[in-house]
Amino acid sequence: MIYSKQLKKIWTLFLSLSLVGLLSFSTSLWAIDLQSAKSQGLVGETPSGYLATVKSSADTRALVEQVNDARKKLYQSIASRNGTSLQVVEVLAGKKAMAKATSGHYIKSASGNWIRK
Amino acid sequence: MKTVLTTIFLSVAIFLAGCTVKVEAPDKPITINLNIKIEHEIRVKVDKDLDALFSKDSNLF
Repeated sequence: MIYSKQLKKIWTLFLSLSLVGLLSFSTSLWAIDLQSAKSQGLVGETPSGYLATVKSSADTRALVEQVNDARKKLYQSIASRNGTSLQVVEVLAGKKAMAKATSGHYIKSASGNWIRK
Repeated sequence: MKTVLTTIFLSVAIFLAGCTVKVEAPDKPITINLNIKIEHEIRVKVDKDLDALFSKDSNLF
């Protein structure tokens, strides 16, 4: 016998998994994967909250553009949800992205130089 | 007597009229602590949302 509480749990889990599945699918269409690009030193995080190319190529430029477009939309929804500006979210995201960068990955300094963490 | 009183009254009135208090707005805007508190709360919430975002999607972060 399934109680309504369990049913609700199952339904929530199903929805979350679908959402994750949808998101993973929608962001895996470019030729190179973000984590590979980062570990190969091709792209890096910047204080602006967005990704940038360390080594520019058609692939890395496409990756950067798609990642940044998706990020901007997410930042905008966080900004609206919290009653603040996009700029505030971007700056906070930039700080966080650079702090969380794995050692060996590239990050852009305030002066605009690429630094290997 | 009446004249004296009137004179005294007028003098006081004129004296007071000349000593009006000047009200000027301060040069610097007044900072209210409430603004800083709200800003901090927003920052904490945004930070929390960003944490969730970063840990969720390794295809974007």
